[in-house]
Amino acid sequence: MTCPLAPGIVAALREIVGADHVITDADRLMVYESDGLTQYRVTPRAVVLPASTEEVAGVVRLLHVEGIEIVPRGAGTGLSGGALPTADGVIVGTARMNQIQTIDTANRLARVQPGVINARLTEATQPFGLYYAPDPSSQSTCTLGGNVAENSGGPHCLKYGVTARYVTGLTLVLAGGRVVRLGGAGRAAAPGLDLVGLFVGSEGCFGIATEIEVRLLPVAQGVRTLLGIFDTMEAAGHAVTEIMASGLLPAAVEIVDRATIEAVEASVFAAGYPTDAGAALVIEFDGTEAGLSDDADRAAACCVNAGAREVRRATSEAERVALWKGRKKAFGAMGRIAPDLLVQDATVPRTRLPEVLAQIAAIGEKYQLKIANVFHAGDGNLHPNLLFDRHDPDELASVEAASKAIMQLCVDVGGTITGEHGVGVDKRVYMDLVHNKQELAMLRLVRRVFDPDGLFNPGKVLPDEVEAVPPFAEADSGSSVLEVTT
Amino acid sequence: MTPVRALENTLSAETVTAGSDAASATSFSAEPMSVLAPVSADEVAEIMKWASREAVGVLPFCGGSRLPAVPEDHPYVAVSTSRLSGVEIYEAADLTVTAGAGTPFTTIDRVLRENRQWAPFNPPRVEDRSLGGLVALGESGSLWMGYGELRNHVLGMTVVTGDGRVLRLGGRVVKNVAGFDLIKPMVGSGGTLAVMTSVCLRAYPEPAVELVLALTAPSIDDLAEAAQRVTTAPVMPASIVLVDGTSKLAGSAGLVLRLHGAPSTVAADRATLEAHVGQLFEEVSTPNALLPDIRDRGADAPCCIEVSAYPSRLADLLGAVSLLDPVGILVDVYAGRARIGLAGTDPDALGRATLQLEAIGGALRVIRAEGPHGSAGVGSDLSPDEADLTDRLRTAFDPAGVMWPARGQRSA
Repeated sequence: MTCPLAPGIVAALREIVGADHVITDADRLMVYESDGLTQYRVTPRAVVLPASTEEVAGVVRLLHVEGIEIVPRGAGTGLSGGALPTADGVIVGTARMNQIQTIDTANRLARVQPGVINARLTEATQPFGLYYAPDPSSQSTCTLGGNVAENSGGPHCLKYGVTARYVTGLTLVLAGGRVVRLGGAGRAAAPGLDLVGLFVGSEGCFGIATEIEVRLLPVAQGVRTLLGIFDTMEAAGHAVTEIMASGLLPAAVEIVDRATIEAVEASVFAAGYPTDAGAALVIEFDGTEAGLSDDADRAAACCVNAGAREVRRATSEAERVALWKGRKKAFGAMGRIAPDLLVQDATVPRTRLPEVLAQIAAIGEKYQLKIANVFHAGDGNLHPNLLFDRHDPDELASVEAASKAIMQLCVDVGGTITGEHGVGVDKRVYMDLVHNKQELAMLRLVRRVFDPDGLFNPGKVLPDEVEAVPPFAEADSGSSVLEVTT
Repeated sequence: MTPVRALENTLSAETVTAGSDAASATSFSAEPMSVLAPVSADEVAEIMKWASREAVGVLPFCGGSRLPAVPEDHPYVAVSTSRLSGVEIYEAADLTVTAGAGTPFTTIDRVLRENRQWAPFNPPRVEDRSLGGLVALGESGSLWMGYGELRNHVLGMTVVTGDGRVLRLGGRVVKNVAGFDLIKPMVGSGGTLAVMTSVCLRAYPEPAVELVLALTAPSIDDLAEAAQRVTTAPVMPASIVLVDGTSKLAGSAGLVLRLHGAPSTVAADRATLEAHVGQLFEEVSTPNALLPDIRDRGADAPCCIEVSAYPSRLADLLGAVSLLDPVGILVDVYAGRARIGLAGTDPDALGRATLQLEAIGGALRVIRAEGPHGSAGVGSDLSPDEADLTDRLRTAFDPAGVMWPARGQRSA
């Protein structure tokens, strides 16, 4: 049960950020009671929306003195419940911190506030021939602060790497409102440990990033996009292995399975994928124009060798968008199949993909659940999507059991429980599959390095507070199918 | 029974005798109580537990050519990782390789090259170094521009903390966010946090071709403008370096670019770069002679420092460096980062250069300094906040403070 904040604390928060930027009324708080993982819902005591580092520091200082938990939140698109409120906590949202402070073309750097939308940075830098590489598929809505917290990836991180590779400096607000500046591209030779790298991916448990310096890349001269159509998922998996073993480095290699194709083609997002195909493989190359067609030819040959029945090539930007459509709209299309969707996330060694996918299908059969697969095949990052109805308690239980079985399977073949969505609240119960007690204790110690009192985002990442989290929200009348892609 | 004898009784005899062998090729700044060469993470853990219990320092090493100075007034043991050696798992199709920390990097390179793969690092003297040593020092070399920094290639590692906890960090997959990323502070920690016993690296396919291009001039300053222009070109070479006079470039300074890719791609990139810079580059006909020479430039000088500034301040960086009378300069242009070899250690001159660089948002760090001054008190400091977080992190890894390399580092 959420307890309202004392009037004096609300007044003090309004003094810091302005009266309009402290939300306490129940109707408006509903917006913040979950993030992209809507199976969990908790109403926060309040939402505070500061606009600057100084305001964040003031808010954190006040909440720290009062012993109130702090849940940082970007756009709330995360899929692991990393921005799930706590009943005792206040959300500190970065929506108003949305300024691109500097585009430094000479050094190919940008300095931004954390509430800047990922895609907006690329839009702003493209006139200078530059762009920001990490591209989570929620990039039209997710924020760079959220990307830092989650160490976000995206389809093109196969070639370009994830967020940690691009963050060169941070301004942080830590426990007690302490403002700390770390790194900076100019200080690459400075002594000390890589604290910037440690902060990236800390899921809001260390503090709040209020300014971010990121590296930009030159826009690629050209792009080639292919769509391989396969009768079986196994053949598509072999094509991926052959492409990667050939020495090619595609910008992206993405797979959708038959269940996903059927969902997409039956929806308003129909992309022209053949519905009798076992899998479709989207392959993209980018870079110097010369050589791209050769790379695409070699990849197409790999697909044919692996048994592709057809390989389509985009010859225009419109055709490229069309080839990607079946991949990018997959999650939206699944709403036709079931009212609820749990997007799982795990990584396995790429060569184990065919056997892992077969076993995931067997898990689906065992628990009588429909599982559709959409994933980043090039780096072995799976997204099995479990389709269900939250009003059916038996199905809810099956989803939990199947999720655990999938996580165990991925760990058993040398993989891990999350490749890009983070642990959040959803994966805490699986952390002991990949970390022993000693390692979990070490993670707790490191968390205390930054946040000795544990007020930042409690109940996330580490499994020690799992009992504080409701297993699933009470059934409500809405659908939880998400308009997100991963 | 002395503490060290008690420890030796818990380890295999070979761990002790092999340690003596390793020590014979190494020069320590102060005599260790014992030199041990454990064969497993568990043996390392026994040593660390004992050291923490007895308040004895621990100096991890392998090869030994780059050992930090240790306090002369306190007992310590040296722990060689030389027997933690060998490729443990190599999944060529997955482009990952896991090897013991003491594995010579040349061994890993050979195994990868047999499958037309490689690990794209080129720090100085890479042929003499172990995997663990490379990762502990975190030196990527100039190829980071094309492939990312070394820290981005380390997928997993096993470490033993100062108090003997064996921790597996990361894993063997290229994307992994299951918990806080403790690998990042381990890479480049220089043995201040824990002893690495094994490391998993991401491998890459060998590029189809490598084209090495150069512009030469009498002085490195003459090339600064062209270097700057390369950094704003629409294509990115795998490496862009400026090097002062080297015999391999007929005594001239050079701006050297490495282009990787398919033949048609590198040819097109060359044309784009030449058009953007407004000058024609010369193709280096003997890159195998030139590249190691460049890679090691300045690294073996009596005093070796690293400096950095934003790449657009290259001229200012070179100006600050010129006052130090360098004997070798290697600038990673895109990073705005340079390794400088100096004939000796002049704390006053280094202090002035530090101030100059910090005034333009840069930094200076002493990598190695011989002679009476050593490196104490010279170079950029951590900020008080960075120092506080660093101390806390070290305490989390090493509660008793036995990791000896940390003793030589300053807090602000």
